[in-house]
Amino acid sequence: MAEETITFTLPDLGEGLVEATLLDWEVDVGDHIARNAPLVEMETTKSAVVIPSPHDGRVVELHAVPDEVVRVGAPLVTFAVAAADGPRAGIVGTVPEEESRPRRRVRLTPPTE
Amino acid sequence: MTELIEHTADTTTGPVVELSMQQALNRALHTLLAENSDTLVFGEDVGTLGGVFRVTDGLQKTFGTDRVFDTPLAESAIMGMSVGLAMNGWRPVPELQFDGFAYPALDQIVNQVARMNYRTRGAVPMPVTLRLPSFGGIQAPEHHGESLEALFAHTPGLKVAVPSDPGEAYRLLLQSVRCEDPVVFMEPKARYWDKRPVELAEPTEPVGTGRVVRRGSHGTLIAWGAMVHRCLQVAELAAEDGVELEVLDLRWLTPLDTDVLAASVRRTKRAVVVHEAPLTAGLGAEVATRVTENCFGDLAAPVQRVTGFDVPYPAGPLEPQYLPTIDRVLLAVQRTLEY
Repeated sequence: MAEETITFTLPDLGEGLVEATLLDWEVDVGDHIARNAPLVEMETTKSAVVIPSPHDGRVVELHAVPDEVVRVGAPLVTFAVAAADGPRAGIVGTVPEEESRPRRRVRLTPPTE
Repeated sequence: MTELIEHTADTTTGPVVELSMQQALNRALHTLLAENSDTLVFGEDVGTLGGVFRVTDGLQKTFGTDRVFDTPLAESAIMGMSVGLAMNGWRPVPELQFDGFAYPALDQIVNQVARMNYRTRGAVPMPVTLRLPSFGGIQAPEHHGESLEALFAHTPGLKVAVPSDPGEAYRLLLQSVRCEDPVVFMEPKARYWDKRPVELAEPTEPVGTGRVVRRGSHGTLIAWGAMVHRCLQVAELAAEDGVELEVLDLRWLTPLDTDVLAASVRRTKRAVVVHEAPLTAGLGAEVATRVTENCFGDLAAPVQRVTGFDVPYPAGPLEPQYLPTIDRVLLAVQRTLEY
């Protein structure tokens, strides 16, 4: 299956925080990680938080090491994920599936006139 | 098998390219922004992101942040700003991200946009085109699958356009934005990814004309938006039983093309109107009335309505049961055949 890479950047973990310290990775390069599984522990000036993985895929690169200070918006990790073959939905909803042969149960009787 | 009407008579000659409805709308916006420097595109996430459905993709990069820009998450403000811009000579093309979020903007739409021209005796027209991703079919959360056409059609001063395929989307959007009256342009989300050849040409039919999409002699299916596709599926299956159904795409709900309705039903003698919105006080009632007023003596059976149910729009997994199914439309057709 075709793959594509997606780089995840550090999101704002609090109200307008500009950076966070990387405490520990929960994954290594080469690991497969499920969506929402623990990815990395980060510490801000407010608290330590575990960031869940936004993707289901293989970890191809970790862009920071423990104790490193990462700016919000800086690359954190790159995933290889399965490429979608059809059209992709936006942020909301799914692409409707087109049946090649629509199913029916009702039969019609042609008019006699 | 009935022939499919090629709709080339509707256009001047232009290049033919394969486009999804999203891409066709994007092309139309590109054309509109390029041809008139007064045209502005704005809304939530339409700029940097390019829209949640990619309809405004790349427009900000091409036309700059003064003409294509993101707004705060405040629908009422988006429409209020449209009023002010239109009063000062601009041609706003606002987007409200989803149908259900048009409700907070109704005050501006109904009390200002729709009646400014009337209130000022024509001195202050409102050439505003509100792009509104609408209707269901994509298993989205609550407030993302509403059908508001009856609400807008019932508001004097507004025009309502609903494209059913990429080519229609391209042409109807050009017409809507160039129109001096406010237009609510309802984009059927379920058809956004539908790809077909589109002739990038100027529309030639006037605002407010419906079209015959498929010819048939035993009955007329009347629809707009994604339900046109549903009706074409039904017509294809009906033909297997020897029943030839005509399919009308109204495409403008105000002004509503009574002529195309009446001409079709006079020939076929049966009419079934199909829409996603709930039954009660839906636009199907208006269509049925116009058919009855104009073709009462020609009708072989009462006009049938196949619609959503009189319940709030359901959660995603129930959509296939809520939206008019092929069998529900076929049953309605059968009722008209055996009446």
